[in-house]
Amino acid sequence: MNLPHVGVVFRKELRETLRDRRTLAVMFLFPLVVYPLVSLLMAEVMAGKQATDDARTSHVALVDSDPTTRRALHAHLTAKGGGIDVATEGKGEAEGAHAPAAGGTAAADVLAGTFDAVVEVTHTPAAAAAAPLAVRVIYDETRPASDQANDRVNRALGGVLPRGCFRTYALTGVSLATKSKIGGYVLSKILPLIVVVMTMLGAFYPAIDITAGERERGTLETLLSSPVRRFDLMTGKVLAVGTLALLTGVLNIVSMSLTVAEGARLAAGSPILAIPWPRAAATLVIVVPAAFLFGSVMVAIGAMARSFKEAQTLLMPVYLLCFTPSLVAGMADFRLTGIALIVPGTNLTLLARDLMLGNAHVVPAIVVLASTIGFGALALAFAARLYDSERLLASTDADLVGLGAWLRYLVGRAAPGRPAIAPTAGQAVSLFGVAFILWFFAFTWLQRWRLIPGLMISQWAGFLGLVWIYARLARRPLVDVLVVRRPRGWAILGAGCLGLSGWIILGILADRLMPPPREVVESIRNLIRPPGESRSLALSLFALAVTPAICEEALFRGAILQGLRRQFSLPVSCVLTGILFGIMHGDVWRFIPTALLGTLLSWVALTSGSIVPSMLVHVLNNGVLIVLGYFGLDQAGEKLPLRADMVILAGATMLLVAGLTMVRRGAGSLAR
Amino acid sequence: MPTRGVEGAPRFRSGSLVATATLLSSPPCMSAVTVERLKKLFGQRTAVAGLSFSVSAGEIYGLLGPNGAGKTTTLRILAGLLRPTEGVAEIADVDVGRDPREAQRRLGFMTGTTGLYGRLTGREVLAYFGALEGMSPRDVVARTAELAAVLDLGEILDRRCEALSSGQKQRISVARAVLHDPPVLILDEPTVGLDVLASRFLREYIGAERARGKAVIFSTHYLAEAELLCDRVGLLYEGKLLAEGRPPELRALAGDATSLEEAFLRLVTHLVAA
Repeated sequence: MNLPHVGVVFRKELRETLRDRRTLAVMFLFPLVVYPLVSLLMAEVMAGKQATDDARTSHVALVDSDPTTRRALHAHLTAKGGGIDVATEGKGEAEGAHAPAAGGTAAADVLAGTFDAVVEVTHTPAAAAAAPLAVRVIYDETRPASDQANDRVNRALGGVLPRGCFRTYALTGVSLATKSKIGGYVLSKILPLIVVVMTMLGAFYPAIDITAGERERGTLETLLSSPVRRFDLMTGKVLAVGTLALLTGVLNIVSMSLTVAEGARLAAGSPILAIPWPRAAATLVIVVPAAFLFGSVMVAIGAMARSFKEAQTLLMPVYLLCFTPSLVAGMADFRLTGIALIVPGTNLTLLARDLMLGNAHVVPAIVVLASTIGFGALALAFAARLYDSERLLASTDADLVGLGAWLRYLVGRAAPGRPAIAPTAGQAVSLFGVAFILWFFAFTWLQRWRLIPGLMISQWAGFLGLVWIYARLARRPLVDVLVVRRPRGWAILGAGCLGLSGWIILGILADRLMPPPREVVESIRNLIRPPGESRSLALSLFALAVTPAICEEALFRGAILQGLRRQFSLPVSCVLTGILFGIMHGDVWRFIPTALLGTLLSWVALTSGSIVPSMLVHVLNNGVLIVLGYFGLDQAGEKLPLRADMVILAGATMLLVAGLTMVRRGAGSLAR
Repeated sequence: MPTRGVEGAPRFRSGSLVATATLLSSPPCMSAVTVERLKKLFGQRTAVAGLSFSVSAGEIYGLLGPNGAGKTTTLRILAGLLRPTEGVAEIADVDVGRDPREAQRRLGFMTGTTGLYGRLTGREVLAYFGALEGMSPRDVVARTAELAAVLDLGEILDRRCEALSSGQKQRISVARAVLHDPPVLILDEPTVGLDVLASRFLREYIGAERARGKAVIFSTHYLAEAELLCDRVGLLYEGKLLAEGRPPELRALAGDATSLEEAFLRLVTHLVAA
């Protein structure tokens, strides 16, 4: 072996490969950004779901003719922390608010949902006094609340040991679910996710092939020189991809249903479940809009790529981000209501589940299908617009984001006298990526260690320090990067109005659209006023209002917003910055309000031409919430009736509109 | 009909296509292509800087210049792929900027990359682009048969394009570009990667199209090739027209240069020195 030759080839390959931004994206973007984001999202949602489940009370009916054992059972079942609410029935006497019907109709009670489970005791005269008491738990294993009730009853009674150390109760579970119902239930757990994911996967490679593949093979230029409207071209392509995705989805439904039925038969030796074919067929209604949506999205994103490889790099995170909500929806028992109706992927998964279980309703189903088709149409319009763009014929990195140049600049040292680098969208995204990695892997750990010192280090040394390093590397003055300029009086007045009204509107909207679990609200309250710790209001205000207003604004409304603004229009820049701002807060329940706030702050900074008004909005927004939380006034709003909410919302909206008008009046020009 | 030359390569008799001209419907156009003060900026970079020229029906106009001179950008604007920043480009009296689809109906565009779908046969490619051009299936079949005879496509029409040689692909590509019989042909470096025989085939075909009254704009790096084929030549350098005229006129302009290449080098040197 000629080692020098090996070394030469090794170095060349490494150098060339590491200069490929697609390789860098796979190396760094996935492990450091996408996976933490996905895990964070899943953990947040699952924790919220778990909290909701734990808080739910299981309604159990107790049927026992012997008053002595009935009292003992009642006591065991209602032991503290068990989460069971018991209604009892003896010999013709009924106790409790929800007395069960006669023992013979226990099954009807459970199936109708009157009770989550029925506990029935059978007394045999010949039984020895010390023998375990025969207890039957009647439940429906295909209904999560009923299944949970059965678990709770088993936990409550299964661990009761008398002096003789044998079980007091001999528990037998009796599930009322039919084979067909069990089949539907099993399929409802796996089929929706598989169908959504496989439909997505079915669109994946065809979308790449007909967009980036066409570009790579050199046929795109020929095609675009034909007298055909771009929208027609793109619609044809999307329909082709959608058809392939549709076939994938349908084949998966059929194959998965047969596999589950056959797999269960083989495992048990006899058929233990039956496939409810009409319901399985009903899930096909989600495949058509799903195929259209995923086909459109993937064609739109594939059209941005210049090669097959780049398209794969771009689509893989999209695939993961689409897959995660579906996975979460598939794993947890969410209801198809509220915002879940319009979250792409999640809504389809939940609708398919409801169709499998026979629980689907017409109006939610129409909303899900219409919103999915609507999102698909938006993606199609975007793709058609992209095909009408000259960027499609760009052949070099320099024509696109310029990320490579910036990364090379970061690792290299600029020659003296070289001019300042103008901010780009690539730099903005890279800066966010670095900040996110630091936040996820270091800052959260610091804040768990000691909240206030950790927060100070994260914000001042982390976020502001990052902006300072960026300014140094870009050879630009920090005040220029931060856009620290003297704003006009109207802008300051407007910012004041926005800071005092924005939090009200965002709070009410968040509560109505996506109410956070109590645990999340409590953790925020504890952040403001930690139990058992005497922190002054001034320190809370400085750490939680002033510090983020300076450091987060410097990062988001300074470097990131400026970079995005060079590439995108004002509204798009504001929304993108808002989304990044929402992501950085790392809390799925607060994502929408923080993203909206971030969008508003970005608009204020761009319109006023200075970062100072957005800092003012930020400090007022956080400050008001901290003062309310500190004095325990925030809980007062929870008890208000809807009408009062509406009045407050109307007042806050008026103040917000006044603020927006004033900021517009005080408009300046931000460096572009 | 084509005749066989050396090593079985197809060659044209110049009269063969002229004879078929009566079958075709495109009316001759006196000023087929007009470009006036055309300017194209990519961000801060100027790709084309106030270019003006015109091409008549029955004329081959060569757009020559080094890499980055603005040839491809100019041709892409004419083909409706890029929008001009300033100026006007017209194809057969249609403003490309205002009505790109109508202009595209009146031109055939071809590049050196052939632009064929590898998994389709030549016949399927022609059917696809014929349909996009708005031709009826019957017209596509008739025109395909006609072009198969002219371009000697008989053996290759029903094979997948990925299985064809470069020269064969280029013949299918030519058929695709002229399928709807446009009055204007725009050929962006069509001979790149072709061997000598295939290049000659293409040159002869372009010559035959001129004889049928087509206006042809032809870009190439190969100045010798342009000298053989073009009626007039525009020398592009850094987005500007350095000189324009018949090849002998350009050689004379450059002080009796022995070739177009030498004339080009002299003119560029003179410009840089000035």
